Amino acid sequence: MDHVPESELAIFAFDPDAMPEPRRSIIIRHTAECATCRTTLDFFAVAEDDLSDVDVWEPVIGSATHDALMSYAARIADEDREAEELLKPLFEAPAKAAWLNLHTQRRFLSGGVVRRLSAHAHTVCLSEPLDALTFADAAISIAEMLPDYTYPAKAIYDLRGTAWKERANAQLFLGQCPEALESLSRAERAYKHLASPSLGLSSVALVRASVLYEQHRLDEAAALAERAEHGFAHLGDDERRMTALYLRGSIKFEARNFDDAAALFRHVIEYGESMNSTAWVARGSNALGKCDVHRGNLNDASLHFHKALAVFREVGSASERLTTEWGIAQVLLRSGKVSEAIRRLRDVAADFETRGMVTDAALVRLDIAEALLAIGQSRQIVELATRLFHVFTDAGMLTGALTAIAYVKEAAAAGTLTPDGVQAVRTFVRRAERQPALLFVPPPPRNR
Amino acid sequence: MQEPRREAERTTRQPDIRPSGAPAGFEEVYLLYAIRLRKIAVRKFQIPFTEAETLVHDVFATYFMHAASVRAVEPYLIGAICNASRNYLRRADAADALFCGEVPCMATPDDALLNEVTRKLLLSQLLAGIGSRCRELLHRYYLNGETTRAIADVLHSTPGSILVFLHKCRRRALTAYRSLSEIS
Repeated sequence: MDHVPESELAIFAFDPDAMPEPRRSIIIRHTAECATCRTTLDFFAVAEDDLSDVDVWEPVIGSATHDALMSYAARIADEDREAEELLKPLFEAPAKAAWLNLHTQRRFLSGGVVRRLSAHAHTVCLSEPLDALTFADAAISIAEMLPDYTYPAKAIYDLRGTAWKERANAQLFLGQCPEALESLSRAERAYKHLASPSLGLSSVALVRASVLYEQHRLDEAAALAERAEHGFAHLGDDERRMTALYLRGSIKFEARNFDDAAALFRHVIEYGESMNSTAWVARGSNALGKCDVHRGNLNDASLHFHKALAVFREVGSASERLTTEWGIAQVLLRSGKVSEAIRRLRDVAADFETRGMVTDAALVRLDIAEALLAIGQSRQIVELATRLFHVFTDAGMLTGALTAIAYVKEAAAAGTLTPDGVQAVRTFVRRAERQPALLFVPPPPRNR
Repeated sequence: MQEPRREAERTTRQPDIRPSGAPAGFEEVYLLYAIRLRKIAVRKFQIPFTEAETLVHDVFATYFMHAASVRAVEPYLIGAICNASRNYLRRADAADALFCGEVPCMATPDDALLNEVTRKLLLSQLLAGIGSRCRELLHRYYLNGETTRAIADVLHSTPGSILVFLHKCRRRALTAYRSLSEIS
């Protein structure tokens, strides 16, 4: 079989009608059967179109954009290396960072120092929020000193936004909710200068939702958590998306909308199963168990708690394990096995106290108080409240929680304590942990 | 409620830092996605080419600043170019441009676009190996849309000769394509 000359294939590819008959039909028939000529024809046909596309003529390597970005990336890497060296001693002695006034010293004035300070603030936020605040403040003071044109594409605003967001994170953990919201507004304003602010704005939405949740502004918190969830989904960031989804579940739970909360926690479990993440499965199961306790599905609740406990015993924190054991005790309580439940709740409360987790211990003891209330043991509630009062005082937690505990003691002694009253104290104690300045207002007396 | 409600932990993954110059990971990501992002801006949002190039630059400039926090590079970059394009078009409040409205982003490239990008990258490589005269000729004819008469006037030649030269240059490209195909 004779192949079609390349010159003819080139003309045919460019414009088949330009090839006169019968040659055109011969080429069509031939290329249908001959892979070699078909490949050549395809190449010419595609090249004819593609050669008109500017992309083909714009080199990627060696282009002005490539060179500029690579030089910028090299600069970032150098800054990060220098910052690591400079800041190492300060991370080991956080108090130093507070009085050194880093922004007044030239050697600290770099984007690398801001990035490293913000990252460190994020790392220590949970365990040492005060240190995190110090580092975030130092990051802000430097970031605001750096000129707007420090980096191309206004990227300096990414550093500023992140530093303010870390400040908000630390303030959230210190219970400074109004201040955290102000910091988040600053972070948001900074991020909005960027061409692609999605990650920053989604993170701001998540932290803001957490703050509003702490303030019990549940509707606003839910809307923002959903916004954050969508933002992270859009960015393909499934881990952060799950954090937002879990927060949505927690908000529904706090609003006592247990059905909706359960549906959200089921998504968390499904995600954990699909990703082979036992941690997410356990967290979701534990939360779903709590929903089922409130929905009266005690068998399901027990199954979920035991599933979570198996994981937390292996890989979870003590707090996660104790929280799950607490849930199992609540199942027993609702099943009518009051003595066994109280015994277990006392064990869990003691374990929390040993670990210095005073608020959690108090919340468990409030469950005991509710159990005692159910069986008419008001005198024991008075003793329990007295003990709680001492625990809080010994721990130096001289907050509105003391007033709330005093209310439990007095109401129990007067025989006016109700499950709703215990629930009001429970909600307050949980919030007072993060917001020590909150004032306790006793629930109105029940209509008699 | 047990509460992992703090913003999720930062990933510990860091780009591979070379002793000097840009981190290797950054360049790899740029080479892998730059054209794709530009194509999305031009094709899906009808942004002019040069403006799209600027948007791609800005997207990478922001990405490099917080690369360690990005967990999934491809959807992040696609979402970023999508938002940058929307911002460019609307010049509206950036908060409104947080999402494209759909997950995955409606700008996520389909197989046809990915194949096209790969094919054009290959053609771009071929053009680098066919000599400067051929490159110039093909550039004038295909990209600038100059006629054979116009090219002939500039090169002091005739339209017929230009057609022959064009054919030879296409053949060179074809030869280079075949040798690249054999290598791959």
